[in-house]
Amino acid sequence: MTPTGAKPWPKMTSREEFQFIAELVMACSTADHTQVTLHDQDGGTARFANNQMIQNVNMRRGAVAVTAAFGARQGTASTTDFTAGALRETVKRAEAIARLSPEDPEYLPPAGPQVYNPGPTAREETLAAGPAVRLEYANEAIGQCRMENLSAAGVVSSSRASVGVAAGTGLLAFEERTEARFSITVQAGDATGWASSAHRSIDRLKVQERTLSAIHKATLGVEPQELPPGRYRVILEPAAVAGLWSWIIWTLDAKSYLKNTSPFAGKLNELILDAGLSLENCPGHADLLGVGFTAEGLPSAASRWIHRGVLRQLAYDRFTAQAQQVATIPTIEAPRLSLEGAAASSLAQLVKSAGRAILVTNFWYLRTVNPADLTLTGMTRDGTFLVENGEIVSAVKNFRFHESPLRAFQRIEAWTAPMEAVTSETGKMLVPAVVLPEFHFSSVTRF
Amino acid sequence: MPTPSWQDFADLALKRIASSGAEYGDIRLVHSTAQSIRGEDRRIASIRDTDDVGFGVRVLYRGGWGFAASSILSLEEVPRVADLAIEIAKGSASIAIEHVALAREPVHRDRVVTPVRIDPFTVPLGQKADLLLATMDALQAQSGVVRSAAELWARRDRKLFASTEGTRVEFDLVASSGDCTATALSDGRFASRSFNTPPLRRGYELIEEAEFLKQAPRVAREAVEKVQAPAVDAGAYDLVLDPEHLSLTMHESCGHPSELDRALGYEANYAGTSFLTTDKLGTFRYGSTHVTLVADNTEPETLAATGYDDDGVACQKWDIVREGIFTGYCTNREVAPKIGAARSRGSNRADSWGSVPIVRIANIGLEPGQATVEQLIADVRRGIYIEGHGSYSIDQRRYNFQFGGDAFWLIENGKRTHMLRDVIYHGITPEFWNRCDGVADRSHRQRYGFITCGKGQPGQSGWMTHAASHARFRNIQVIRGEGRA
Repeated sequence: MTPTGAKPWPKMTSREEFQFIAELVMACSTADHTQVTLHDQDGGTARFANNQMIQNVNMRRGAVAVTAAFGARQGTASTTDFTAGALRETVKRAEAIARLSPEDPEYLPPAGPQVYNPGPTAREETLAAGPAVRLEYANEAIGQCRMENLSAAGVVSSSRASVGVAAGTGLLAFEERTEARFSITVQAGDATGWASSAHRSIDRLKVQERTLSAIHKATLGVEPQELPPGRYRVILEPAAVAGLWSWIIWTLDAKSYLKNTSPFAGKLNELILDAGLSLENCPGHADLLGVGFTAEGLPSAASRWIHRGVLRQLAYDRFTAQAQQVATIPTIEAPRLSLEGAAASSLAQLVKSAGRAILVTNFWYLRTVNPADLTLTGMTRDGTFLVENGEIVSAVKNFRFHESPLRAFQRIEAWTAPMEAVTSETGKMLVPAVVLPEFHFSSVTRF
Repeated sequence: MPTPSWQDFADLALKRIASSGAEYGDIRLVHSTAQSIRGEDRRIASIRDTDDVGFGVRVLYRGGWGFAASSILSLEEVPRVADLAIEIAKGSASIAIEHVALAREPVHRDRVVTPVRIDPFTVPLGQKADLLLATMDALQAQSGVVRSAAELWARRDRKLFASTEGTRVEFDLVASSGDCTATALSDGRFASRSFNTPPLRRGYELIEEAEFLKQAPRVAREAVEKVQAPAVDAGAYDLVLDPEHLSLTMHESCGHPSELDRALGYEANYAGTSFLTTDKLGTFRYGSTHVTLVADNTEPETLAATGYDDDGVACQKWDIVREGIFTGYCTNREVAPKIGAARSRGSNRADSWGSVPIVRIANIGLEPGQATVEQLIADVRRGIYIEGHGSYSIDQRRYNFQFGGDAFWLIENGKRTHMLRDVIYHGITPEFWNRCDGVADRSHRQRYGFITCGKGQPGQSGWMTHAASHARFRNIQVIRGEGRA
């Protein structure tokens, strides 16, 4: 790596400094309960398009938020100024809001001391990475595309953060987190291919491998044929699966469930999907972006949400959890979706076994059409192909779909082991590529 | 030693940039204060007061961009961040093939202030909370309504923009908005109906004029009527779209494709490109002759009317589509010269001090026509009248779209009859706008807009207003947004 010569950034907030901030806040607070949260981040993005840099940015932003409560009246104020005077002023603002607020019947004091399982949330190589490292990776991806006479657009980003939560109850959580992301769209004429990655380690982004994958997709995508809309067998690559499953995860909240405004209403402990499917949270997994604790300072823990197709868990806020006597609130920031039984050894193997199907690289602009049954819409993007007799025979023009993942994943014909999946609209997950017997494409676009 | 002023910090950064040999540089110092009060199910769920201060330095060095930003505003941090922006720009320049050249812009010295009648930050918090609680009570007083939500939001941005070219502009901008939603349950189905003010550069008078307590009973009644309404039968319908609904249709199918950075491939990896490629400028029939879409960043109270953009370019008014023909893009100083334009349209905006400015949709609006809404509806045999925003999705070139809405009424033989549910329409952008055969007159014009328009990597939230009168579109494909229909 070539150093830029730029001076090093100021040190990020340490655990000791966060404790000092928290003690200062507690000392000047007159509230019944006070909670302080820290998010101090330094990071940047090298962004390229048409094979050259279009943006190259770095930002350091530190913020402290104080929540003060008098009885069940609460208020939150935040600041980006860490001086003692500004922190005292922030406490005053939070208290002023709390005094004027109506009582919240769902208010709960901050949690007490917790036990955390330290996870692999920070990597040295990402802590040390700056604009020069990001530029080098971006240039590597651009170079590969230039060699193929193709046009690349994408990003390499990296960040480090100090995150903390503390309260007068003795709650104290703090950890360093790092994150790096890479994504690339390769254009070959009118066709595009896409790939992405995310990891705690910037050196695990697999820039070369992902770029070659996007180049391959773009090259395969030329001269797409137009197929009529309808119901097709589909092979969904991991990014496409992650796009659909993100919506399942986002709609698992217990409050909506209890008020019958959830697509899962009445289905807890019932078979809702293919009996081989399981969804679990794996905060300690080295290839996921798990964290040690939530925004409220509650510990993350391994948990099972769907087991063999049966819905086993809901997402609780603290009030609803207490009302439902749920002692430990489960989290799902590091999801892993898997299927029991014999898995195909690779995506290529899955294609070989699929007969006639549409292969989908990724979905785009997914939105709810009907929240009651979780019918979604969205477009295929950056690599949609017709598979016949186990081979990709041509690219096809992008489809719009109109489908609920709760229907589509009722039966899964074939699958791989879970693989890394990151999309522009979701976090990182481990999910399999799957073959679904039927998927509803409702219209087709012009490319 | 006196406390340094923002002007002192700006001078410090700009001197370093000038002495580095960079051809251009600017600094934005921003102090944003925001307050959001969010109610849910007859309780105040959160009150949050945000105070966010920082600065961002942008440098163009031998045709390569660098940007660095920090929330630490000090005499040590400002030069360090300026130096980092210079170093990053040098890195970009080292691998550049095509070097950035900025369109020229006169030097401006100005101060821009949002005129407000009632400063939203001086209205007592208790008064705001009481309004939300009363609104939610009114929503849930309706039998069948099981959930309610209501929210008020306000933000003030004090900003100094200064460039190495000599432009210095101070800003003191305010924006406000409010909304409420009722969710009704019936026969195992649920549906929501909302009312919201447009987010505008106005004070608390916007909230007072909205009369939430008067609106709430109607919203609640319509939520129940909606959930109990028959589902639409799929097929071709004539659509009459209200201004709020049209704001989203225009935003997605006209606003985004008219961003020149998209058309040039800058957003290919995320937000996407545009079917409005540069070869179509001035010749492509985007819509029928009824369709004239004008970008106006000078209209008072609108979100993008900030006086100057984050390139320091004065806000302007220009045509995007004139009588159906595509005639103009939203541009900044970097991309404008790529289509031979001598000057930027002044549509380069960042969402905070920590974000680099990018091309943003202007305040694009549909020019009024001659009809009344009643006349538009009277000439429909089988159609649907749609209000508000619902589900929306569009492909990355902004061709294939699918939109829902917040409320739907069946039109039969020229009369608006009963409500429908689960209405979704889809189409191809230019085919859709070519089916527009009538726009209501100026008396029906209303403004709506967005403060959550996602674009860029890292992602930013853009702000813009879209005004329209009601418009009619013939023979549009409608599907049922549920089940396996």
